[in-house]
Amino acid sequence: MGLRKVAVVGAGMTKFVRRAQETGKELAYEAAKMALDSCELTLDDVDGVALGTAPDAFDGVHMKGEYLSDGAGAWRKPFMRSYVGGGTGVFAPIQGWYHVASGLFDVCLVVCEEKMSSCQPHPQGAFLTIFDHTTERPLGPNLLWIFALEMNRYMQTYGLQKKDIALVSVKNKRNAADHPCALLGDPNITVEDVLKSEVLAWPVQRLDVSPVTDGAVALVLAAENVAKRITDKPVWIKGVGWSLDTAYWTNRDLYYPKYVEYAARMAYEMAGIREPRKEIHIVEPYDPFDYKELHHLEGLLLADKGEAPRLTAEGVTARTGNMPVCPSGGLLGVGNPIAAAGLMKVAEIFWQLRGEAGKRQVPGKPITGLAQAWGDLMQVGTVIILGIGG
Amino acid sequence: MALLEKVDKNIEARAWQGEIPIQSRYTCGLAGEKFFREIMENGRFAGTHCAECEYTYVPPTIYCERCFAKLDEWVEVGPEGTVQSFTVLLVAPDGTPLEEPDILALIQLDGADSVLVHRLGKVGLDELAIGMRVKAVFKPKKEREGSILDIVHFVPVNA
Repeated sequence: MGLRKVAVVGAGMTKFVRRAQETGKELAYEAAKMALDSCELTLDDVDGVALGTAPDAFDGVHMKGEYLSDGAGAWRKPFMRSYVGGGTGVFAPIQGWYHVASGLFDVCLVVCEEKMSSCQPHPQGAFLTIFDHTTERPLGPNLLWIFALEMNRYMQTYGLQKKDIALVSVKNKRNAADHPCALLGDPNITVEDVLKSEVLAWPVQRLDVSPVTDGAVALVLAAENVAKRITDKPVWIKGVGWSLDTAYWTNRDLYYPKYVEYAARMAYEMAGIREPRKEIHIVEPYDPFDYKELHHLEGLLLADKGEAPRLTAEGVTARTGNMPVCPSGGLLGVGNPIAAAGLMKVAEIFWQLRGEAGKRQVPGKPITGLAQAWGDLMQVGTVIILGIGG
Repeated sequence: MALLEKVDKNIEARAWQGEIPIQSRYTCGLAGEKFFREIMENGRFAGTHCAECEYTYVPPTIYCERCFAKLDEWVEVGPEGTVQSFTVLLVAPDGTPLEEPDILALIQLDGADSVLVHRLGKVGLDELAIGMRVKAVFKPKKEREGSILDIVHFVPVNA
């Protein structure tokens, strides 16, 4: 396609916290500065900035992209904000990728920020208004109960029990205990804790779901010739994909995320991956709810339909398993500042492939990893594949 | 067909009433914390200075947007400054005439490179001029609450 190779060369992230003292701009700055410092670049080296951030209503600032731009390092630079709901955190680096792959920029800074704590009494109030104002909003829909409908459908289709799914929450919250930026790491959590937690919208309980969070993450992307000057450990973007299913969310069969499969197939094709289960060594699927990690592993074709719970029970997806899944701790453990959470997953793959993940480092020197996010009206899938060597 | 129906008054249009039931609880941030405390407790303006860019930010920021340096050099600026532009509001957002005109201005505080937006007061409309010297008037200390409205307005220096 005449595209240039693009590498991730630097990454930075703030702590993920319940309510940050910093403004959104200040959070964005902290992550962006850390990412630039990590690869010894300055703002002068940056040709353009790609920003990802979710609904304006979270920060309570309309045109939030412009509001955040100075903290994201965009002063007097080409600046683009992308937004595909929860899928934004993986879409923003895809946007950064095509700006570099196309030849337009040599270096693109990608910043994702979310400050959800501003939104009172709860960000679910903002989510209410993503639904049709006449046919659905009068019923008071929120993301907890529409995903409860999806989770129930998934459980019913494969005869799953709550305890099969709670294993994901336990795994991720335990993994997050090793993440210095994590909000909800817990090395001692058990399945019983999850099953005993408050029922929010059956079958979703408190510990099945990720919390409201503030935070920011940034990556530095560079074209091949620049990347090789900056670092001897470039992590290449091997493939990207994204797909949007129907916005009539009730009309999809919710047991299987077809849009994730389409996005994954696009990314696999670009990356030349024919056997994903052999060629993808480490996975960061989007896990705002525990069942979603399972759902997404199946959509990514990394597990047969209905089989992801078994892989989890057998330890295949543990940090020391054959296919580590969410070694970061995921959204369930590290936290879920929406767009920043997605980019955290891409940053985790970057750190893991470079062997820089510290206590979270997976064994076996992985060379290819995948991050995925999901969002909009639960019908967008965004996928990025990173790899070293080649 | 709805598109061809003629509706003369808004209230005759068939509509679904709705609202977005959220409020925002904003943080003033690391820089804002210091800025508003300085106003509230001491009636002074605190800015941050970037030595590299020779630029002073008021309201302050903890980073320089121009060079991305972390800023920790705090300087006092104002309380006097110079009007860079002004406007006189005569009509409220709902279209009704204002009883008293509201005067908004861009004010560059002495020692600052950035520009603050605030109200002007105690000034006749015929006295208004770009370049006029003004100074801040703060609320009595016990009434201040850490808000930009702790500054009542700016008035001519010679008033």
